[in-house]
Parts: sequence; C-alpha cells; structure tokens
Amino acid sequence: MKFAFHVSPNEQQKHASTQQIMRDLTIALGVVFLCSLAYYAISYGVNYALQEIILLAASLVTTFVCEAIFAKVKKIDIKEFITHSFGWVTALILVMMCPVNISVYAVIIATVFAIVIGRLVFGGFGNNIYNPAAVGRAVIFASFSGAVTNLTTSATPTGVLASSFRWMPGSAEALESFLDTTGGWFGLAMGTYPGAIGETFSIAIILVGIFLIVRNVIDWRMPAVYLGTIFIITFFIAIFSGIQPYGVIPGWLWYPMLHLLTGGVIFGAFFMLTDPVTIPTVPAGRVFFAACAAVITVLIRMKGNLPEGCLYSILIMNTFTPMIEQALDAPQFEQKKKAIIMSACALVLGLGVAFYASSTIRPVKGARNVGEETAMVITQTEQEDLA
Amino acid sequence: MSLLLGPMQQHIPGRKSLTDHSDVKVLMPKERVFIPLFAGPVTKYDLLVSEGDHVDIGTRLANTKSAFDVPLYSSVSGTFKGLVKKPHSSLKPQLHFEIELDPVQTSIQAFEPLNWENASQEEMVSFMKETGIIGQGGAGFPTYVKYLKPQGIHTLIINAVECEPFITADYKVIMDNVEDFIHGCRILLKMSTGKECLIAIKKTHPDLIDYVNKEIQKEGLSDIKVVPVPDVYPMGGERTLVRTLLKKNFKRLPAEVGAIVNNANTAILTARAFEKGEAISKKYVTFSGEALNYPTNVLVPVGMSVAEILENIGGIKDNLASCRLIAGGPMMGKAMVSDQICIDRAMNAITVLKDEEEPAMTCMRCGRCTAHCPVGLQPVRIANAVKMNDVAEMEKRGAMQCIECGLCTYVCPSKIQVTENVRKAKRTLAMKNRRGN
Repeated sequence: MKFAFHVSPNEQQKHASTQQIMRDLTIALGVVFLCSLAYYAISYGVNYALQEIILLAASLVTTFVCEAIFAKVKKIDIKEFITHSFGWVTALILVMMCPVNISVYAVIIATVFAIVIGRLVFGGFGNNIYNPAAVGRAVIFASFSGAVTNLTTSATPTGVLASSFRWMPGSAEALESFLDTTGGWFGLAMGTYPGAIGETFSIAIILVGIFLIVRNVIDWRMPAVYLGTIFIITFFIAIFSGIQPYGVIPGWLWYPMLHLLTGGVIFGAFFMLTDPVTIPTVPAGRVFFAACAAVITVLIRMKGNLPEGCLYSILIMNTFTPMIEQALDAPQFEQKKKAIIMSACALVLGLGVAFYASSTIRPVKGARNVGEETAMVITQTEQEDLA
Repeated sequence: MSLLLGPMQQHIPGRKSLTDHSDVKVLMPKERVFIPLFAGPVTKYDLLVSEGDHVDIGTRLANTKSAFDVPLYSSVSGTFKGLVKKPHSSLKPQLHFEIELDPVQTSIQAFEPLNWENASQEEMVSFMKETGIIGQGGAGFPTYVKYLKPQGIHTLIINAVECEPFITADYKVIMDNVEDFIHGCRILLKMSTGKECLIAIKKTHPDLIDYVNKEIQKEGLSDIKVVPVPDVYPMGGERTLVRTLLKKNFKRLPAEVGAIVNNANTAILTARAFEKGEAISKKYVTFSGEALNYPTNVLVPVGMSVAEILENIGGIKDNLASCRLIAGGPMMGKAMVSDQICIDRAMNAITVLKDEEEPAMTCMRCGRCTAHCPVGLQPVRIANAVKMNDVAEMEKRGAMQCIECGLCTYVCPSKIQVTENVRKAKRTLAMKNRRGN
C-alpha cells in the first residue's frame, strides 16, 4: 500500500463544480429562450421563431469556430478547450439581447467580437475584464444598428417610453397610452411584447433567477441590490417630479415598477451582472458594484441618448472591478466600515441622479400621438432594447 | 446571511454513522509502544528515566521545553529501551520513547490529586501545569496556558462540536465518561473564574445533548448549560464557536472577548488528573474513512503504532493501489506518507481516504472561498498576491490570520487547492518576519 501525500484539506465538495454551474446557467437561459420562441411563434408566426433559432445557431457556430482556431493556434486540445471555455453561455446571452429582426451577419460579427476581443485576447475563460456578451452587443449597437432583415415588429415599449415620454410618463393618461403598447401591466410583466429576444419575459427570468440563486449559481446580492437601487432612485424621481397616481396605485409605486419591468434591467440583473468573472469577488464589493451600476443605468435612461442603460452600466462598472477589489482587499471584518461608507456614497450618488433627472425633465402628462411617431418608430426599432 | 458578508460556514456531510454507534475496540500493543517526545517542536528536554529502567503507567518520563513547559508521562508499563527517531504526525521525524511492554500492566499515581473545591485558582493552574495535559482538539496547545490570566473571563466554552467529518471520538468519550466530563467542566469553570460554562454540541447529536443534560440535572448545576449548535463546518473552530455563542469576534485569542475555549476530552482528562491523579495514558481515536474495511473507534495507549492498530481492525481495502492516511479529519488533518506514525496525545482520528483528485480548472472568480471563509479573509485575493509574489499585498490581505480550516478548497467549484495557496502566503510572510528579526 502506498500512502500518497496530499496537502490538506483532503475533501472537496461533491456535486459542485464549474461544469455544474455552467450547466444550470445554460438550462436557465434555455428556458427563457423557449419562452421567447413560444411568444414569437404564437404572436408573429413560425418564421420569426425560426429566425431566432438561426440567429442562435449562427452565434454558437461562430463561437465554436473562434475557439477552435484559438485552441489550434495555442496548441491546446480543441475539444477540451471548448468544453472548458463555456463560450456557448456568452453566445446565448448575446443572442437574447438582440432584437429578432437583426440580420445574421451582424450577430456573427458581434459574436466574433464577444468571443475574440471580449474573452480570448485576455486569456480565455476566467481572465476577461469585460462581460463578453455585453461587448458583442455594444458592437452591434455602435456599428450595425441598421443591419436588419425584413421581419418587422410593432414599436417596442422601451423605445416608445424613451422617445415619446422621456422615461417620464407623469400622469395616469400618459401611462395608459404607454401600457397600450405592452398589453397592460400583465403583458409588461409577462413579456408578451416586442423587444430583445430574451429580455422581456420578466416573470420567467425572475423565476429561473431564483432557481439559479437556490442552486448557488449566481450571487443573490447582484439582482437584489441592482434592482433595489433602481427602485429607490426612481422612487425618489417619482416623489420629486410629482408623478400622479394611477387609479389607486400611487406614483411612487407604479413609476419604479415601470422602470423595473420595461427593458432589459431584469435580464441584465440576473444574467449579466452576475457573471462572476467580471465582478468583484468580495460580497461588499459586489454590493457596491451593483449599486453603482444601478445609478448609471438610471442616469443613461433619463438623461442619455440611448433608450436603455443596463448594458453600458455593466461595461462601465466592469472597468472599475479591479479598483473596487483593490479598495476592499483587507480581511472583511476590518473593512466593514469602509464598505458601508462606499455603499452609502453610491446611494447618495443615486439620490443626486434622482434630483438631477427630476429637476431637468418635465413629466409628459398627455397621451402619445401615434401618428406623429410612426416615422420615428421605424428608425428606432433597430436601436432599441439595448440591454 | 448578511448583505456585506457571506455565510462564513458550510454544512459538510459528516458520515459520522460509520463509527458512532459501533462499540469502541479496546486494543493493546503486542510488544512495544513509541511515545512521541513532542509537545509542539521540543527544543529542550530533561530525561527522567534512563535506558533499561522499568516504567509504570503514570511514570514521569521527561520534562519538555518548547514554547511552554510540558511534562510527559508513560502510557504503559514496561522497560524503557531508549529514544528513537520515527515518523511523526507533525510531518517531521521526532524522538520517541521506545518502551517494551510488560505482560501484565501495572500503574502508579502520576501525581497527588488536588482537592479542587478548596484550592485557589493559582494552585489549580500550577497543578494543571504538572499534569502535562494538552488541548485535545488537535492543535495540542498546553491547557494551563489559557488559564494564566483569568482577568475578565466570564464564559468557559467546552467544545464538543466535532465539526470534522468522520470523527466521533469526542462523542464516544463523553458517552462513556459523562461523569468525569461534567466534573472536568466544573473544574475548568472554577479555574477560569468565569460565571458560566457553555457546552457546545451539534444539533445532530440529540442523544448526546440529552445524556449530558441529564448528568447536569443529576448534579443540580445551574452554571453549566448545553448549547446545541448547527451542523456546519468549522463550528468547532474557536472563532466560529465564539461568534455563534457570544455573537462576538476576536482578533487573536478568545480571551479578548472574555471566553476560554477547551475541548471536551480535555475536560475529561482534567477531571481524572484532579480527582484520581492520572495523566494522559489512553486515547479514544476514530479510525474511519471510505478506504477502511471496518471503520471504528479504538481505545489505545498513547504511542501505539497506527500500522498495528490498522492490522487489528481489519486494515485498508485491498483493491486500492494507494490511499491517503490522514492524521486527523479530512479537512485539517495532514496526509502521512508512512503508517509507522504513533498515536500522540493530541490525536483524535486517523482518516483513510481513497487517493482521488479532480483536476483543477481556471478560477472563475465566483467568490465562494471569500464568502465561506470563517475568518473573513479573501483567499482568492491572497492566492492572486501569491501568484504575483507581492509580499506587501499578502500582508495587507491578512494571510497570517488564516486558520487553515480548508473550507475554501472544499467549496471551490474549480477544484483549486486554495488553502495551499494561502499557506504559501503564510510561509512567505513567516520567512520575511524571521529575516526582519
């Protein structure tokens, strides 16, 4: 009998591995993708669902080709590299952030950027600085916003909310006319309205997100703090701007809910902000990261040129990840006070944004004028729902 | 779970049922024992016996000097054959007393018992020093040292948690010696000058909790209480235990928050020393793990060789080419490269596991090590500093506070040996400090 030497501990958790985490994540994303397939097939026809599948297939194939070439160049076993690189998760997220009418070549180019520039040049899985799917989507937004097919959908609510209401429908009448585009609150929550392929299904995303939290795949702090902070900031915007109640629901309640349910923040909170590679490792740092991302999201929504802010808020905060880690590097008990002060600062910044937004934007009180907008919507559809 | 901190602990399947309900096997070595001349790395020692001398159970063999003075007593009766160097559980070869056993064992009183109810605190501590009792939790720290400065101590915590998987020796020893156990608690409580003694036992051992509670009631004690604690690791670590029981954190020693923590078996040994004048001679040791044919608890004299015990209890599974022989539990115990090591006074388990390891993958920075670290360190960041060989960062990130509980490696989904990386940082810092002096 040989007595092998091994450093302690000699026991490691069973059934908890990177593969298991990625498998759960893939399943979760798959469920949301299926929701999307079902919605587009039922509401717009099978060719829309087919287009989604083609987009996903194109992205996946591009991912595998890029990784295979990289592995070949680096002289690593191709199969092992691809299975340990988990590029398909990036591809899935990227496709789900795109509108259904985007052209296939735009998705292919975005995937190349996401995989090669977003991940491989940094050294592959685990070493990238920016969320790779967000990098890919940003490329589409910057360079290929006109690359669309002839599949058309009606105007997307995020675009309408941004262009017609400046994210500030101030009265029950304005809200009512906005909700017409989503099928009411119920439609807004269920995600049965046009938008990015996988971003709109708020309730489904929250449910699979809870599954991922229970399975310890994602950190509950990220969605909780991010969405919580957005709620708090928009709550104060509603108070400062005097948003009117909608029936019995006071303005300070429905207005934050509108922010949370419209656009890609819920998708971003559960699937992009939680990418462990590009966020700080320490819980306190994650709280600060998520709070700051929320502030930037609201700022871009209210004051930026873009209809949506989630994607860029994540990319901007990714830049600060090394800095946050550097700042919160000491043993956690010793730096608890510092962490609390940092998070409080983020919150104060958020209140500043709320004050700035509400003092410079006048709420839109009237219903939107559909005729005036049609021309605008056509140019808008390809740009919107950027998460 | 708080917003800014992770859970700082983790449930680990205990697999205690392998050994906790089977009978303890009482074993005696056939020919000889090797009693380690070890109480921490010993720097100086006075031998009190010479080669060829006859010794009894309880004969004082030596006074050792390491950081503290600890006397050594014989665990068997027989003939002292001399000092030999042998492999030891500290991973370095140590001197051992080789004693050839008498066919019939005889014992003497190691020292005069002390009537502790009338003795003063100082008398008790100096008596404790003479007993040579060292902490039975695994680290083997001399027990009397904790009682040298009793100012401000309000709570004595008796640690009967046994959070390491597989080990049931403490459970067994309390079940068999509950009266000594409670007496030991009373003695230690008096010596600590504290007001209250809390006995921490895992919720998953309700039979033990009941049993101890009955004994407390029988003696009508109001200052000793059993506190059930959750089945998580490292519940038996001083920091986690004090945090759970007293809701306080300390930096270096529990005395900072008014507590002394001692192991359950230490209490039993204390009672025997004070009331019967006995030194440590026999030990309950758990032999468990998936690579053993018949996991069981054994009661053996200090110094019996592990190889001989393994032979007696049915050995290691034949179909294995190699295995890991761990002195202690799987989390904190160290893997031995020889079965010629002997049972030492602070050893409470031998765990034999299959030699399997999953390949490590790239760290994906999931942060589980940081969230689970019971000290609140950031193992992944310390490992990064090690990779960069940045000594200043290792220090800033608090590597020296690591208690090497192994939880970061345990929870790592990428199967990285995180604890070993932190250990490297500790070694680097220790080297730097030595050079600095």
